[in-house]
Amino acid sequence: MADGHRAAYLAFDRFPSSKGSAVHIRHMAAELFDRYGGGLLCVLGGGGLPAYQREGAVEIVRFDAVVPNLLDRAEAFSAWAAEQLAPHRDTLELCHVRDPWGALPALDTGATLVYEANGLPSVELPYAWPLVAPSTLGKLRELERHCLSRAAAVVVPSYVIQRAVLDRGAAPDRVHLVPNGADPPPAGLPRPDTAPDRYLIYVGALQPWQGVDVLLRAFARLADLTDLALVVCSSVSANRARPLRRLAERLGVADRVRWQHMLPHAEVAAWLAHAELSVAPLTATPRNLEQGCSPIKVWESMAAGTAVVASDLPVIREVLGEHGRLVPPDRPAELARAIRVLLEYPDVRRELGERARRHVETGFTWRHARGRLAVVYETVAGR
Amino acid sequence: MTPCTVTTGFFTLGKCGVMAVAGCPACQRPLCAGHITESGLCPECAAARNQVGHPAAAAAYRRRMHRHRTAGEYQDAGWYAGFDAYDRSAFDPGAGAQQDYLDDGDDALVDS
Repeated sequence: MADGHRAAYLAFDRFPSSKGSAVHIRHMAAELFDRYGGGLLCVLGGGGLPAYQREGAVEIVRFDAVVPNLLDRAEAFSAWAAEQLAPHRDTLELCHVRDPWGALPALDTGATLVYEANGLPSVELPYAWPLVAPSTLGKLRELERHCLSRAAAVVVPSYVIQRAVLDRGAAPDRVHLVPNGADPPPAGLPRPDTAPDRYLIYVGALQPWQGVDVLLRAFARLADLTDLALVVCSSVSANRARPLRRLAERLGVADRVRWQHMLPHAEVAAWLAHAELSVAPLTATPRNLEQGCSPIKVWESMAAGTAVVASDLPVIREVLGEHGRLVPPDRPAELARAIRVLLEYPDVRRELGERARRHVETGFTWRHARGRLAVVYETVAGR
Repeated sequence: MTPCTVTTGFFTLGKCGVMAVAGCPACQRPLCAGHITESGLCPECAAARNQVGHPAAAAAYRRRMHRHRTAGEYQDAGWYAGFDAYDRSAFDPGAGAQQDYLDDGDDALVDS
C-alpha cells in the first residue's frame, strides 16, 4: 500500500549515484525496509531519475525541483519531505535521516529518529562554498545540535565522528558505531578491456580533501616506471576533474593518467581487483581530522584484496589498521616512496591485500554493518 | 512485443521490460499490467497528480495537511527563519568553489 508506511529514510543526496554515499544509503535503507516491511525513501532526483517509483512495499520519491541556492534547496527539500511524510504520520514509527534537512521534518512527525551522521554540514560545506561566514557556520552547528540532541540514536561510522557528534550535543549512550563495509567481489573478475598492464588506482570523488593532487605529484616522482599508469575512477563527472587534469599536464604525467568518470559501482570492483595498489591520499584537513569519515574506497580496496597505501590519519588507521601501508598525509615524496617500495615487493603487496580481504570478510562486510544497524533499531524500539 | 518502459530497481535501475498492455494516457509510455495504476496512468504521472494510494487515505491526508498548515506547526519550528539573506548569499551558484551547480555532486551536504 502506498499509505501507512511504518518507516522512512530521508537523504539530501541523489540516489542511486556512483558516489560512496549511495552505496551506503543502499545498504542502510535496505536494512530499514526489510525490518519494517517496506517504507518510504525520500532522496534527491534529477539526472533522468524517475520522480516516483514503487518497488514492492518500498516507495521511492525524488525531489527534483531546480533551486539554484543550496541553502534554499536544502530548505525546499525539507518542506517537500514534510509533505511526503504527512500521509504517514499516523503509522510512522521510525525515520532514518542523514542530515539536518531530513531530520527537521522527521522530528516533526513524532516518529523515533535515527540520525546517521556521516558528516557534518558545518564542517564540510565551507570546502565547496568558501564564502560562507563564520556566523552562518555557527547557525549550522546550532541546527546540528538541535537535531542530534533530539535523536533517539545517532549512528556514526568512525570514532572521530563520534567525538564530533558528542561535541554537538548527542547523548553519549545514544551514539552507536556502525563502520562502513564492503562486500568482497567474486573471484576471477575479468580484467577491464581498457585497463593498462600495470596501474595504480584511485577511486572516489575529487574534492580537495581527497588529496588527488598529492597523488598526482607523487605519481610524477615515479616517472622512471614507464610501464606504470594511474587510473582515477572518479565518482563525479569530467567537468569536476578539469583542475586536476590541468595539474597532471603541468606535472608532465597527463599521458599516463587514465580518467574513468562515474563508472557503475559494479564495474569499479574489477578495476580495483586488477590494480597493483590502491591509493587513498586523504589530506590532513579539519574535514578528515575533526569531522572524520569512513572511506568506502578503502573498504572496497581491502575487500578486493588490493593492497592499500593511505594517509596516516586516525580515520584511516581505524579502517586499515595493520592491513595496509600508512604514509604521512600531504607528502608526495613519502607517498611516492611507499608506492615504489611496495611495487618492488610483490609478495608483501599480495600478503597485505590478502590480510585486508580476510579482515573485511570476518567482520566488515555490508552484512555485518546491517547487523550492527539492526541492533540499533532494536535498541530504540525497546525504549 | 512492446516492452513496459517504467523504471524499476532500487540501486541498479533498469526498464521493466514486461510486455506492455496499454499506454499511459498522459505521457504515452507503454505499460505492463503490473504498472498501470488505478487511474490508468503510469506510476510517475499518478504520483504527480497525487493519485497514489487509497482514496480515503488521500482525503485524510488533505484534511490533516490543511489543519497542519493553518496551525503553522511546521513553519514555527524556528529553523526556517534561522538563515537570513546574508547567510544565503554564500550559497548562490556563483559563490561556490565549483560553478557548475547543476552538475552532479554539489547537492550532497556530506560525502561518505
